[in-house]
Amino acid sequence: MIATQSALELKGEMLMLNVLRLQDVDIELIETTLQQKRAEAPLFFVQSPVVVDCSSLTEEQGSQLDLRALRRLLVKMDFVPVGLRNVSNAMLAASITAGWNVLRASAKQSPKQEVTIELSEDTFVYDEMAEEKKKKEANMAEFANEDQSPQKQGLTIERPIRSGQQIYAKNGDLIILSQTSAGSEVMADGSIHVYGPLRGRVLAGVKGDKKARIFCRSLEAELIVIAGCYQLLDESDTELKGKPAMIYLEDEKLIIKSIK
Amino acid sequence: MSKVIVVTSGKGGVGKTTTSAAFAAGLASKGHRTAVIDFDVGLRNLDLIMGVERRVVYDFVNVINGEATLRQALIKDKRVDNLFILPASQTRDKDALTKEGVESVINELKTDGFEYIVCDSPAGIEKGAFMALYFADEAIIVTNPEVSSVRDSDRILGILQSKSRAAEDGNVVKEHLVITRYSPERVDLGDMISLEDIVDILSVPLLAVIPESDSVLQASNNGVPVIMNLESQAGQAYMDMTSRFLGEDVPHRFLDIEKKGFFKKLFG
Repeated sequence: MIATQSALELKGEMLMLNVLRLQDVDIELIETTLQQKRAEAPLFFVQSPVVVDCSSLTEEQGSQLDLRALRRLLVKMDFVPVGLRNVSNAMLAASITAGWNVLRASAKQSPKQEVTIELSEDTFVYDEMAEEKKKKEANMAEFANEDQSPQKQGLTIERPIRSGQQIYAKNGDLIILSQTSAGSEVMADGSIHVYGPLRGRVLAGVKGDKKARIFCRSLEAELIVIAGCYQLLDESDTELKGKPAMIYLEDEKLIIKSIK
Repeated sequence: MSKVIVVTSGKGGVGKTTTSAAFAAGLASKGHRTAVIDFDVGLRNLDLIMGVERRVVYDFVNVINGEATLRQALIKDKRVDNLFILPASQTRDKDALTKEGVESVINELKTDGFEYIVCDSPAGIEKGAFMALYFADEAIIVTNPEVSSVRDSDRILGILQSKSRAAEDGNVVKEHLVITRYSPERVDLGDMISLEDIVDILSVPLLAVIPESDSVLQASNNGVPVIMNLESQAGQAYMDMTSRFLGEDVPHRFLDIEKKGFFKKLFG
């Protein structure tokens, strides 16, 4: 029997895109600048997909930008307008009515991993380095006598992490003194320690740190991830469900071990 | 000092309004000046359960929009002194609630000398529920012994401790758990989650367990808060809940299967 051919193949692929970061909203000025650029390499820009980045625009500029005219201009100049990026909320509706696709904001550092992380607006993100830097800037004198090496102290949370909540400890470890609920998501660039039942999704080493570990008092998680390697607990044959456990990565495999 | 208490659950149909009505009536019957606000704009129910739906002239949204004064909109209960009801509008939707509007109503109730302001939240995690919990000092989480209800309660607890004003100020909203429609027989049969498991999943201090009881439905249909029927187990359980909330040490009741006496066994 001949296997039926599938209608399509869906692949993620890296594609060269030009990003046009707007610094002004005057369409005529944009046109002349673009023409100058094109004159430098005329063939390079023909039928070239372009994403317009609005991160450099102020809210006021954003509201003044004529999105329809911008689109017409790009088409006229043989670009393929793919969409807008980093538009302010105020611009969102106008962008869509003007026929633009609005792309998700670009991640500053995209971690290499199989499980992608999407932070929702509500995610409680704690950036150890940024906090440290802020503190230092705010109080140079106090820090002058102290050790200057950036100490990763991590983030400690005393309250339960509830269903629907996301916690992300950037640049450090995450310590949760209470439980995490089913339907919650806890993440850290470093290791994660949970001193109550661990019931939700747990992602350690999200930027690729393979030495990150997960420790918990009672292993009841839905999904375990270290540096992109993941496992559903229900698909694991470990006998440590509901027991104190430590999880680490060895040869790209997740090892679950007792820590009684 | 007045206290704002939100009665919330995430899931619908678990007994928020029944609990709000009973609890507010209980507080008032113990001599505390209490107002209960219906935040379920568009699907108002509290006035029905309190038996005042034919006395509604102005509502919560009218007060927020400045179309009526708070005094005009508050309905005084005829059965219990100290108890006032602020009904929701049936003809508007939840967008009629604004943070500033809700805050000004709550502040006015506070200056008016209300000791307890009970906010009856609508189901869901959208605007109405958010408005009901935003100004809360304490929260009563109503849960049924059922998986989806417990999960939704967990979700709303997360929102409470991250989105409320108290949370924004770095404080914690005090949590109380009330399990309603509890049936020890069905827990025994494995149909329902036991209260120990619910407390374990939510890790919130248990305030009360209200047994499943026909008297709740009767009371709702008659427009009488079930707490006023102290012959019913549910009424007694709500009274215990109120006492416990006010700091009295009252043991939990109706948690075990009722032992049938000789005659009951004979005649079933």
